[in-house]
Amino acid sequence: MIPLYFDPGTGALIVQFLAAAVAGVLLFYRTLLHKIKSIFGINNKEEDDFMDETESKDNQE
Amino acid sequence: MESKRNTSSFRDPSGYVFIDDETIKRVVNPIYFEQYHQLTSSGFYQKIIDKKFLIAHKEISKNESQIVLQSSKIPFINYPYEWSFLQYKHAALLTLKIQKLCLENNFTLKDASAFNITFHEGKPIFIDTLSFDFYKDNNPWLAYKQFIMHFLGPLVLAKYFGQDFLKMLSHNLDGLSLQKLSKLLPIKSFFSPTILTNIHLLAKYDKKYESDKKSVNNNLSKTSQIKLIDGLYDFIQNLSVNENTEWDHYYNQINYNDVAYQFKKEFTKDWFLSIKGKTLIDIGGNDGTFSRELKDVADLLIVADVDPNAVEQNYKQILKNKEKSILPFVADVLNPSSNYGFNNQERFSFIDRIENLNLDGCIALAVIHHITLSGNIPFAFSAQFFSKMAPNLLIEFPTRNDSWVQFLLDSKREFKDHFDFYNEANFESDYGVYFEIIKKIKIDSSERILYSLKRR
Repeated sequence: MIPLYFDPGTGALIVQFLAAAVAGVLLFYRTLLHKIKSIFGINNKEEDDFMDETESKDNQE
Repeated sequence: MESKRNTSSFRDPSGYVFIDDETIKRVVNPIYFEQYHQLTSSGFYQKIIDKKFLIAHKEISKNESQIVLQSSKIPFINYPYEWSFLQYKHAALLTLKIQKLCLENNFTLKDASAFNITFHEGKPIFIDTLSFDFYKDNNPWLAYKQFIMHFLGPLVLAKYFGQDFLKMLSHNLDGLSLQKLSKLLPIKSFFSPTILTNIHLLAKYDKKYESDKKSVNNNLSKTSQIKLIDGLYDFIQNLSVNENTEWDHYYNQINYNDVAYQFKKEFTKDWFLSIKGKTLIDIGGNDGTFSRELKDVADLLIVADVDPNAVEQNYKQILKNKEKSILPFVADVLNPSSNYGFNNQERFSFIDRIENLNLDGCIALAVIHHITLSGNIPFAFSAQFFSKMAPNLLIEFPTRNDSWVQFLLDSKREFKDHFDFYNEANFESDYGVYFEIIKKIKIDSSERILYSLKRR
């Protein structure tokens, strides 16, 4: 490991566990909502991916 | 041959950038050799460069004390405080994409500075080759706090209070203070679980452990860290600005008829061909309507506008049409970005960067009346400014009979007489100090004149 040139903050390292737990719950509900909506035929409008050009090229390979 | 260490590159001891006879080179110090070798041999560098996430580099020399890389050159480095909201969002999302890709390959980003990203060929790109480190199992993300201070903070402030807050990094090069950020945000932000945990709770914990320098590892599994990244990604992707847009199909509103508008487009193209131009800056370029006419003949079209919404519209068109030569960014001619940072040599001013580029041309359409009448800038001053942009200038001069000019003059009320100097003759004599007039043509069925000028 390379020593950091800035202080990562002890609190910021500890809190990530909580933030990740909350994110996990949010993502779970969002996925659930997507599934329910798709059962009723409602399409979720996703924002275009700004890096799509290179990624779609990767997918073709 | 001139070799000079780049004055922006000093924070990270892993290496530094220097400029060697117009090429960009990067020294890798022995402290980073192990990482560098692993990043290269595992194919991770190649993978992330192929995806166009990271600027390309090649190794040009290697010995025990240093490895030297040559990086592809980006002609115009633009800074976070010069981006529209959508650009800022995309820069943040790219950083998260990179961190996720890193984790999948057992690496991690060791810093997440917004200055590691710039816009090039229509997209954000990561420009710090040495920002990667080995991922250690169950370690939290060391750059998390920096990510919030550089990206999430300004974006959330802009969401609640408008895009002006995206400029805050110019005075806080190391990011916004978490405690201040938490204090500034409205009560309703506490009801957003993402803001609550990633800003308010973070600020609280950060304060609580301020003087505690114990090391924290082994508290976050890789799966959890990916959830954290995905959660931030999702939140940022759906962020929007709570601000009425001034920009509302400007070109449909103003007082041109179709013929005059078409004439202006064609004149611009003919002028650019006549100066045999390849590179250009468009001052007050709005959403890039006129520059876009030149995209097939030019290599680089820098389109600057004061209105972030116009810049955003331009960026959206670039994404949609996959345009590579147009670079949109926010710049206020009345107060362009300055030199910031240590010794005033860390982030460079708008004028310094433009002068360094030696552009072929500058266009300033429908902008001089705003500079002169809204900004109170004398012709002699604006002429000097434009003479720094490029040797060829195409400038549109709306005469006193133009309805916009009338409106601006009327807004001056009792002070109106002070602007009696605003006329063709004074414009020509003051601009004549810096430029010679090559061509002057009145736009039919309008009260406007186009001047093609050449620097003396």
